[in-house]
Amino acid sequence: MTTTNNQGDNEVTMKLNRRRFIRHAATSSAIATAGALFPGISFGSWPQLANNSGLVSWQKAPCRFCGTGCGVLIGVSDGRAVAVKGDPNCSVNKGLCCMKGYHSVQALYGKDRLTTAQVRKNGTLVEVPIQEALDLIADKLKTTRELHGKDSVAIYGSGQWTIPDGYVASKLFKGCLGTNNVEANARLCMASAVTGFMTSFGLDEPMGCYEDMDHANIFVTWGNNMAEMHPVLFSRMLANRKRRTNVRIIDFATRSTRTSQAADKSILFKPQTDLAVANAICYEIINRDWVNWDFVNQHVSFHRGKTDIGYGTEDHFAFKDQAEAISFEEYSRFLEDYTPEKVEKISGVAAKDIKYLAALYGDPALKVTSFWCMGMNQHTRGTWINNLVYNIHLLTGKISTPGNSPFSLTGQPSACGTVREVGTLTHKLPHGVVMNQHHREMAAGIWDVPLSNIDPKPSYHTVEMFRALDRGDIKFIWIQVTNPMVTMPNLRRYRDGGLKGDRFVVVSDVYPTPTTDIADVILPAAMWVEQEGMFGNSERRTQHFAQIVDPPGEAMSDTWQIIEVARRLGFEQQFPWSKEDYIEKIWEEYRRFHAGPKHEMAPYSVLRERSGVQWPYVNGRETRWRFNPKYDPACSNGKDFDFYGKKDNRAWIWARPYEPAAESPDNTYNFWLNTGRVIEHWHTGSMTRRIPVLHNAVPAAYVELHPEDAAELGVVNGEMVKIISRRGEVTMPAQIQGRGVPVRGMVFVPFFDESYLINELTLDAFCPISKQPDYKKCAVRLEKA
Amino acid sequence: MMKQSEKRGWVGPCIAACCILGAAVTIGSPKHSAAIDLGNFDHQGQKVFRSYEATPETYLAADSGDRNLARFYELRQYPGSPPRIPHGVEASFSGDESNCLSCHGKGGYSPEFGKFVPVTPHPENTLCYQCHARVITEKAFGESDWQSIRPPRLGRSFLSSSPPPIPHSLQLRENCISCHTGPGAVVEIRVEHSSRGNCRQCHVPAVQTAPVNEFVRPGP
Repeated sequence: MTTTNNQGDNEVTMKLNRRRFIRHAATSSAIATAGALFPGISFGSWPQLANNSGLVSWQKAPCRFCGTGCGVLIGVSDGRAVAVKGDPNCSVNKGLCCMKGYHSVQALYGKDRLTTAQVRKNGTLVEVPIQEALDLIADKLKTTRELHGKDSVAIYGSGQWTIPDGYVASKLFKGCLGTNNVEANARLCMASAVTGFMTSFGLDEPMGCYEDMDHANIFVTWGNNMAEMHPVLFSRMLANRKRRTNVRIIDFATRSTRTSQAADKSILFKPQTDLAVANAICYEIINRDWVNWDFVNQHVSFHRGKTDIGYGTEDHFAFKDQAEAISFEEYSRFLEDYTPEKVEKISGVAAKDIKYLAALYGDPALKVTSFWCMGMNQHTRGTWINNLVYNIHLLTGKISTPGNSPFSLTGQPSACGTVREVGTLTHKLPHGVVMNQHHREMAAGIWDVPLSNIDPKPSYHTVEMFRALDRGDIKFIWIQVTNPMVTMPNLRRYRDGGLKGDRFVVVSDVYPTPTTDIADVILPAAMWVEQEGMFGNSERRTQHFAQIVDPPGEAMSDTWQIIEVARRLGFEQQFPWSKEDYIEKIWEEYRRFHAGPKHEMAPYSVLRERSGVQWPYVNGRETRWRFNPKYDPACSNGKDFDFYGKKDNRAWIWARPYEPAAESPDNTYNFWLNTGRVIEHWHTGSMTRRIPVLHNAVPAAYVELHPEDAAELGVVNGEMVKIISRRGEVTMPAQIQGRGVPVRGMVFVPFFDESYLINELTLDAFCPISKQPDYKKCAVRLEKA
Repeated sequence: MMKQSEKRGWVGPCIAACCILGAAVTIGSPKHSAAIDLGNFDHQGQKVFRSYEATPETYLAADSGDRNLARFYELRQYPGSPPRIPHGVEASFSGDESNCLSCHGKGGYSPEFGKFVPVTPHPENTLCYQCHARVITEKAFGESDWQSIRPPRLGRSFLSSSPPPIPHSLQLRENCISCHTGPGAVVEIRVEHSSRGNCRQCHVPAVQTAPVNEFVRPGP
């Protein structure tokens, strides 16, 4: 030790001498000096612009990646995006981003960007002018419809569609072509959040906003690794815990993560048993008389639905729930199966931990915010678990006030904006649902199409849409801004389906992916700020971005691609806009669907100016907390709260039981398989892997094992493990004691890596109400490879 | 004296922020506007003073000469991007406060790395891995056509003897002391007069990525 210190001291003395030398040498330009000192090294390891003025102009945009909706400022120099900083004017992130946001602009510049259209001729993709590809698409659409009927064509988009993208897709397919075959990957991502909101409140999207974080005392993360998936929000939580002394974070999860490490308390439960634990919390709240009776008597009604509702693993599966009003006493009797002691046996959560959670929710002095995302939504009882967490907040009246917030987060930048608000799901319209005559009339009126065009019957939800493609009921599918050949559960069936002889698959994307691999036509798309558009984030915030840089080659916005095809099909009247102002015109048309205090959207001119605007935007004011008359202009009952979404003007508490997962470990397939993300990569990695910093941090996927399971299997870190399910197998490196540690009997695999298609193993079971698949639970066995 | 000027410093930006943002942050009442958190955008120098007070003179003046600008930019993708983590970290690394800030909070000598440690200018942001990525491989997924601007030039004084302006944005880099003094500082940007704590008394922000605007008297 002493020797080291002496050496250190000597080094300091030596360097001090050199410092003096530098001081004398550095007269005008220190760069020149340093260049002389360290010859051969140029500053900045990145290639520099040819026209390197060093000047940068900054323009606002929402981040391209997750549903947080951080405001970023994009630095532009010489027509290229060259830097990013957090937008200090954006209340979402207040000037801070995450590593994905800071490097997001690099995703524009991968050398393998798709810049020309390609058409498969005799089995190989050949480049063609984009107009020729668009002709072919229009022709195929037309002839397929004529030969096989209107429901033989489909469009599949995503929560990364801009709002205009989704709007024109819905207008063309539902309004003009008369098919409800419009779906988006958000079905795989937050359909259960939607049905949870609809069944509990009658209106979609959170009542609260991110500002809840600055008021809450208790944060409970329900199966939600926020530290990696929503880092900007998580660090705001940590900052609050640091600044205020009365803040605690409780992580409630099936696997130990960075969120668990940062939390004040980590509680682990067995997969699927969150249903039982949520009910046990309610049991305890009632049993201890922590119910907020003023709130419950005025604002809550009790219901139950069907039970033993199935898992949807078979084709043509159909289910319709039936709500039945019950009394508080009936609800309370239902909960008797869920005493903390009984639930301890099901869930593995100690009764005292359940009571602890109940005490936090039940304490009237504490403000509680619950966060969740995929853990609760990708769940074969996803709607139910959403309902059950609302139950807790409703029994205690901890809702719609600053800091008291059941908060459903989203994973994609415009899952809310484009899929939930525009309604790019088979049963939805921009306002309401296809089943409703008034809603169809409104759509037909605004879209300028005959009412008879809009089919009152929903067709296929996402899983069923790809099953229909496999069966041959769908012959033509246009996939935009998503990568289903990595993300579909039970992937092999759906890839084989897409490859069948007479199926015609069009893919619009920015990079080659496993989905473009099966395409018959590839259209090069403009990415993010290469086009004008809007996203909508998790807290009802609409965020406009201008076109900041030019798209490469013949790349074109997804909106314009659809307009080009629509016009070729003879719908010039419905798609009359010019390239100069089509986004503004589309926005102002779309906005008519949401007129009124419950969902009023800001005008285009306001969106352009600001770093996002929250709806309802009424009389120049945004609404931060819905259902609370202090903030929400749509409240009209004169009480403290007005849950105007439901006809009885009440929020609904649901008696929903615990039912097991679709597939649980048994003697043959003895492990749970859980899938998800890492902070570095987003979705299927087609963008983030082309960002050097992110790829270099996590270059490949891996399987996380509990150390004892790894020891029994005889594998050490980095050794290959074969994971086998009833549907497929994959061999990948083990990670033991990494950033996440699954419990014994569970493995975890991130899904971003197209070299290890973990979704060939997952099961296409879904929540019968929301039709959202469960990517978190299926049974696998392991072998040392 | 300082306290007073600090206070004035806070009121101004609050009002300015309200005007600029308008209803963008849904200012419900004047009471609410006070809740806008400007703590993260302390361009008022408060942070510099605090940090200066907390750093011993000998440390401020020390210089290891270990780090240079070339290395500094090697870890970045463009001027101002969050640097990657240039050293190994455990696989279980959670990037939490105690792990990173034990060294990067106050600096000092690390026997483990045999180096003086650079100090973070924003220790209040404790979720370090939110922005700073580890390096597992240098191999790229594919080729990139990424280009960016040259880093800001140093020593660009407006007059031959005037103090050079601050060439970079102060967002997340408000604390001059952390990067420009101490033995972990980058040698080319180290100040020689660290005994003076009020950096922005002489050095004005003139971000090099923005054009220099000359004063033009508004017309009648």
